[in-house]
Amino acid sequence: MTDQDRQIKTDRMRYIKNKFSSNLALVAIIFDVFFFVSIYKSDVSTYYYTLLIGVSIVYNLAFMLAAFLSSEGVKSYGEGYCYLLIVLGIIQFVRIFIIPWRASHAEVTIANEAVVVMGSAQFLRCTLFLVISGICCIVAAVVGIQRSRTLKAYVATLGEEHRRD
Amino acid sequence: MATLSLQHIDKIYDNNVQAVFDFNLEVKDGELIVLVGPSGCGKSTTLRMVAGLEDISNGHLLLDGKDITQAPAKDRDMAMVFQNYALYGHMTVYENMAFSLTMRKEDPNVIHKKVLAAAEILNLTTQLNKKPSQLSGGQRQRVAMGRSIVRTPKVFLFDEPLSNLDAKLRGSTRREILLLHKRLKATMLYVTHDQTEALTLADRIVCMSMGHVQQVGTPLELYDTPANLFVAGFIGLPPMNFFDVTVKGGALVGKGMTVKLSEDQKNTLRSYEGKTIVLGVRPENIVLGDDVTIKVTSNENLGMNTLVHGNIKGGDKITGKLRGWCDYKNGDEVKVSFDRMHFFDKETTNAIRGEV
Repeated sequence: MTDQDRQIKTDRMRYIKNKFSSNLALVAIIFDVFFFVSIYKSDVSTYYYTLLIGVSIVYNLAFMLAAFLSSEGVKSYGEGYCYLLIVLGIIQFVRIFIIPWRASHAEVTIANEAVVVMGSAQFLRCTLFLVISGICCIVAAVVGIQRSRTLKAYVATLGEEHRRD
Repeated sequence: MATLSLQHIDKIYDNNVQAVFDFNLEVKDGELIVLVGPSGCGKSTTLRMVAGLEDISNGHLLLDGKDITQAPAKDRDMAMVFQNYALYGHMTVYENMAFSLTMRKEDPNVIHKKVLAAAEILNLTTQLNKKPSQLSGGQRQRVAMGRSIVRTPKVFLFDEPLSNLDAKLRGSTRREILLLHKRLKATMLYVTHDQTEALTLADRIVCMSMGHVQQVGTPLELYDTPANLFVAGFIGLPPMNFFDVTVKGGALVGKGMTVKLSEDQKNTLRSYEGKTIVLGVRPENIVLGDDVTIKVTSNENLGMNTLVHGNIKGGDKITGKLRGWCDYKNGDEVKVSFDRMHFFDKETTNAIRGEV
């Protein structure tokens, strides 16, 4: 790629939205949904009937809202939204050690038999969904930061007239 | 760019209604041809046949000598600008203009260069990030044109592109299209029912009525030497006045008028002696004089000119465009002369050539 091609590519960013980061953030939401529909099981008695699961449900809603807003923000090269996505991504990793980890080490007694709340297959599935969701958030943020900084630096080199476009 | 040849083209719909009859036209490279006529005359149908949006029932369509009569629209290398813009509301101006090239999977950098170049030509550079809903009608139409320009087609087709604009915007956008044509030197086919657009834009005009071509010529030819009564009445605003008159002994005699003929006019009408013909006089060819008396019915001041509507004493209605500001009252009598006349055969409606 020549310098001129690189410059045109940067100039294109003035008119083309950052769909890559935006779409990754949406993918993060989808995998978060996969996660929370995968954790619930009805055959483990009242294990999930706690305050923690309530907080988890509320957080899922908050995550989806925040990730969607960030998706729209990074689309327009908003750097601030990228930092929000990083935070959301890190929290997705932390969440592995809350419900999936705990449930995979918890047992309930059903018909006088000890049953593991979350089997290893389900644990792996939930962990995978959270990891993918977290990675999507962080990659979207990193690409977003890099692109928004490139665009900002490029626009600064343009004349006042172009800056207003 | 390209030459376009329409040879004996007919359009017959499935219900046997014929919309276009034996249409023949040779469009030269870089020429702007305007198809003009009243609603339902077949001009848009002809354009759509050229674009490939309608089948050609009979005849041949040649682009640069190659027969494209049966070619699908996408393979014709033509771009069409529609009356209703046909922009994607959820896309920005940039994305709208880039859309066709993106669909063809062209290099994004090449697309970018083409879109910016088109935006520069159309003065849309500062609007590229806006959505169509944020633009005025004129700007939207320019975006529609930009979408055509980026494709660098062989032929541009315009289907009444200014009809949705108000009068002021229509004037300015018309001038932009003219500048665009001069700049791109592109072959263009332009459909309109507005004769002002036709006269101001065209290199040549094709005047149509009821599916038939009435006359093909330069704007001046159509205005100055209309081929028949239809063209004479359609081109020119206000329209030409028509009177039934009889050629009698070197004069035209009609209801309430006797107009003496010059020697040249007598020669032209020699074979019509004693017959009734149609006399055509454009409003702007009516001047104050002493040949015909008009009883004024209304008076419209336009600033530089005054439109005087009235009746020839005991005869037909007449409209004159007199120079300057006139304040005639209803019932006033004004004596006028005709400084230029057109003669038409009453039966064939064709012009009797040789008029002075």
